[in-house]
Amino acid sequence: MALGSLVFTILVVIIGYRYYAKRVDRDIIQADPKRATPATMYNDGVDFMPASGSVLFGYQFKSIAALGPIVGPITAIQFGWLPSIAWLVIGVFFIGWVQDYASAMLAMRNDGMTMGGLSYKLISPRARSLLLSFMYIYLLLIMGAFGALIAPLLAKPIVPVGFLILILSGILAGQMTYRWKQDLLLTTVVTVGIALFGIWLGTTQGSQNIVNAINGLAGDPETGVLFSRPLGYGDMTWANFFWAIVMLAFCYLGSVLPIWRFAQPVNYTSFWFVFLGIVGSMVGVVVATFTGAVNTSFEIPAYVTAFQPHLGPIWPLLFVTISCGAISGWHSLVSTSGTARQLEKETDALPVGGGAMYTEAVLGVLSVVFAATIGVAAGKYDPAQGYKLVAGAGGVFAVGMAKFMSVLGIPESLGGAIGMVFLVVMALTVMQLVLRFMRVASAELLGDKVPAFKSPHVGSLVAVLLTLFLITFGFWQWIWALFGGSNQLFAGMSLLLISIWLARENKPTNWSFVPGMFMYITTVAALLYVSVYNAIWKGIINAGPEAGVGFILGNLITAAFGLYMVVAAIVLFMDGVKAFNQAKGGVATAPAGD
Amino acid sequence: MTEEEKRSFLEKARQAIGDFIYGMASHESTRQALKTRGSMEHLFILITMGDLLGVPILPPYYSLRLLPYVVPQIATWKRRMLREKDLADALA
Repeated sequence: MALGSLVFTILVVIIGYRYYAKRVDRDIIQADPKRATPATMYNDGVDFMPASGSVLFGYQFKSIAALGPIVGPITAIQFGWLPSIAWLVIGVFFIGWVQDYASAMLAMRNDGMTMGGLSYKLISPRARSLLLSFMYIYLLLIMGAFGALIAPLLAKPIVPVGFLILILSGILAGQMTYRWKQDLLLTTVVTVGIALFGIWLGTTQGSQNIVNAINGLAGDPETGVLFSRPLGYGDMTWANFFWAIVMLAFCYLGSVLPIWRFAQPVNYTSFWFVFLGIVGSMVGVVVATFTGAVNTSFEIPAYVTAFQPHLGPIWPLLFVTISCGAISGWHSLVSTSGTARQLEKETDALPVGGGAMYTEAVLGVLSVVFAATIGVAAGKYDPAQGYKLVAGAGGVFAVGMAKFMSVLGIPESLGGAIGMVFLVVMALTVMQLVLRFMRVASAELLGDKVPAFKSPHVGSLVAVLLTLFLITFGFWQWIWALFGGSNQLFAGMSLLLISIWLARENKPTNWSFVPGMFMYITTVAALLYVSVYNAIWKGIINAGPEAGVGFILGNLITAAFGLYMVVAAIVLFMDGVKAFNQAKGGVATAPAGD
Repeated sequence: MTEEEKRSFLEKARQAIGDFIYGMASHESTRQALKTRGSMEHLFILITMGDLLGVPILPPYYSLRLLPYVVPQIATWKRRMLREKDLADALA
């Protein structure tokens, strides 16, 4: 079943690429290998610089694949594995690749503009301001969702020592490369070797004792509880709180230190664990299918329910819980800001943008396979509670990776530690970049009014504190739903922008406009469900007399996040549809001075 | 498939896989290094050619001596400086 699902997905991907995507590229967009791209026209050796298609495929895939295609499917499988795989496959077939590929083409045909500039040019000046403010909240939710997921993983006794040694080996990689001018191969072998040794060291009893001692420094001596979360979603333990602060300290360093000194070499060393982990797991699934060494049949039913009480209804919640893997707004940021400025030929946009998206869908299905095969036996899903996810979603992936890599001879304890460190570094890679962006954004938006924000330390600290607030007080599945909603809404906005551009060019628009409307309606519904029904109706109006101030306040904040995004989305939608109709009628809507 | 074609195909496949891994592992590092160099060049041109912007940092004698070396970079420097940027550039 496991291998069958992967093979089926790969077949759909091949058919989609061959018979749908290529046709759109050839007949509608009419990609021309001879047309000059921004990378060749404005080649400045810095922002605009041509690179080969294979290099950019790797760059795009690495930039878009973070925790989304892993955690989303593992959470959504509570509705059953069939809806999860169906959305991954149908989503990528009709929507995901469209957004990634077409946003790269949109930027390429508009002088390499990014999303802000494009929304200004194609919709209105107000659209740009709204989009950028929306982006700040969206990125804050990425920080909250990823952080809330990673902190409990870091608190596990086998993880911190390996993680810390991996960070140190990353810093060593920077020193060896930039200061000592060592060969990259030597640097890689030495630093990856040290990091691997560190991860193994973390699994030894001595290391675990040290971590356990730290985890027991504060909080309730019996349970480790530091305080109860105000929203009533369980207790915050000292261990989770402490490691959340450690994690954010690393993000802070990544934001304020020179990139070459910290973020970049740490990401480089981490990459090898991510790469080898994915390849090892895929090979493990194939080997396990033929040897039977690990169970490869699905233990979670194909269809569980259309309403999971702690998640919500399958529509719209499934479609925001699984974001990356099917479609994700983050990808349009990568496609426009990074990839479009490096594509040497227009015909590379499809294999790079579309190809990376299709590959990510396969990673999403791999996560479903892990959850469905080992989730119940490992005690991560409870059949008695309707297959509710009763443990951290990250742990499901780590256990799956450990099981399937064990058939290749890697001990399960080491495989589990590698899996957890894999998830932590995958999240941290994105979180460091996001924090850096938030710091720049706060300096740009508030620096003139509050000069303190011009300091990188102040901007980073504010973003870190906001993230800590979300991690500490939020229930991560709701943060994940808000994050998924904002992410998918961003995708809807990108598809709307693409449709306006296509209309202005007198090209068919249905292939991007219809998916865009579907994403818009679905995600607005999901955000309204979380903010109005859950936060306001259940969390405030029907809270009951026993609810404390913290509970009400927490729900108010959740509602405020959700409603702000809904309002911003509706205003953008109205402006966007107006621009779309004008473009269809042949009236250009470029702002004055354009 | 002839022996020659087979070798050429294998060579292309090897190159593509190598490029893919480089793209995942190191391309971002390369871009960051180039961005750092670009920022340094901005400063260098500002210091040496400040007269162009009305910021006379170096005496014109030295600026003129350096001018032939800077000329090839002036077009891209101007484009980078004058290009409209927005916040999303910070993610690039």
